[in-house]
Amino acid sequence: MKTLLWAERMKLRRSKIIWIALFSAVMVSVIVYMQGQFLFQGHRYVDEAGWFMTAAQSLGSIYVLPAIIALMGSYMICREEQDDTMKSLRLIPVKPSSLVGAKLVLAAFMSVLLYAFLFIITFSTEVVLHFSLLKAATILNFLKIYLLQGICLFLAMSPIIAIVAVLKKGYWIALIFAEVYSFAGLFVGMQNTARFIYPVTAAFCVSGYYESTLPQLLTSILSLFICVCLSLLILDRLNKKYNS
Amino acid sequence: MLNLIQTEFMKLRRKNFIFLMMLSSLLMPLLAVFYFGAAKKADITPMQFYKWSAYSYTPWIILPVVLGILGTMLLYDENQNDMLKQLWIIPISKLEYFLSKFFIVFLYSVLFMMITAVCSMLAGILPGTIPFTADSVSYLFLKCLEIGALAPFAMLPVLAVAASQKGYILPICVTLVYTFLGFILLMVNMYVHPLSSMTAITIKDMPGVVMKQPVDLKSAFLCIGIWGVASIICADVTLKKRQ
Repeated sequence: MKTLLWAERMKLRRSKIIWIALFSAVMVSVIVYMQGQFLFQGHRYVDEAGWFMTAAQSLGSIYVLPAIIALMGSYMICREEQDDTMKSLRLIPVKPSSLVGAKLVLAAFMSVLLYAFLFIITFSTEVVLHFSLLKAATILNFLKIYLLQGICLFLAMSPIIAIVAVLKKGYWIALIFAEVYSFAGLFVGMQNTARFIYPVTAAFCVSGYYESTLPQLLTSILSLFICVCLSLLILDRLNKKYNS
Repeated sequence: MLNLIQTEFMKLRRKNFIFLMMLSSLLMPLLAVFYFGAAKKADITPMQFYKWSAYSYTPWIILPVVLGILGTMLLYDENQNDMLKQLWIIPISKLEYFLSKFFIVFLYSVLFMMITAVCSMLAGILPGTIPFTADSVSYLFLKCLEIGALAPFAMLPVLAVAASQKGYILPICVTLVYTFLGFILLMVNMYVHPLSSMTAITIKDMPGVVMKQPVDLKSAFLCIGIWGVASIICADVTLKKRQ
């Protein structure tokens, strides 16, 4: 597994996807900052300390970043088929489930990295805008929310990434599905009970964006756990397919 | 040009995913059923229902994302299968090649919005949430046709990016960011981004929509036009360079 992770990391170095994902995070920040210029009751949104960090995390997690995470995961999996390197990997031999597992671990790391990068941008902007109003506890809480959101959102998207590994050329439909799946979270988030069950909004609950009681938190963790189990089941099917 | 369009249609027959992508047009009508069903309001007007199911998030988010992915798919698959070289050997004009792809995106967009209109009508009328009135239904279809016809022009910059790239990662990311930007700019300035301008045109005469300032149709069309022409020129230049 260690070797596979190393190999995947080396492959990513040659790819532009990391830079493109980071560029998306920068653009999310810029766009949300633009929204912050909107006047509400005589004040700009962005004038309120902490608004920018909250808005960038929530808006980005609904509209842009889930699809980017699904894109990163599906790209890493599909490129072996596209570049016709799967045959060579099978000759080594490499177990397909281990290979996809290594790709998923790296995609999870990338997801956290993406959120950490977004945090750095939003935190730097907040420091410039409202340095005197920021408290260490608030910043640490935001850092926790961002990092947990990164990992939880990846877990919520993991079944889609795993499906891509099974479907040939399925990344197009996976992308649409990822966008619709995350976008539906906007409406599910309005329902008090469903928001703790639906995986995308459950990620918000586990990260601490939504206030929740212990049973609600456990429901959200269970929902994400089901997503992980579903992904493992799909990957198991992939393994059987290759073995047969 | 007609031959190219006919060829594009023949290629579509092999792409089943394109038709599966149409399913996303059902999302907002379905959500509207649940939303208005839970609200249990007795006085829901057809306009209120259709605003939710067809005039809001579908043209703001869902349709642009679907069109961006479709455009990328149409251009990327030809690169991936190494067919582009053969097309240049024939030879075909770069501009006509790009416009034939745009034509497919245009037809797909109109069809997508027509399906949204039919589903919205059925989702509202069949459960008895709203009454069937000829005025509201004809307005729904006309508005959806308008959105379906304008959206591909607003998505021309993404199609140009897809034409300039060999891969699909950048055009997809650009689609997501471009759509998000258009959605956010609706509240800031409607005449900078083509998608925001498209929304300005479509909501201009919509009953019940209150705007801070009157919509300036000239500026909105100008914005879409400038971005569209610039995109076509950029696509033509980059395709010629790549040859």
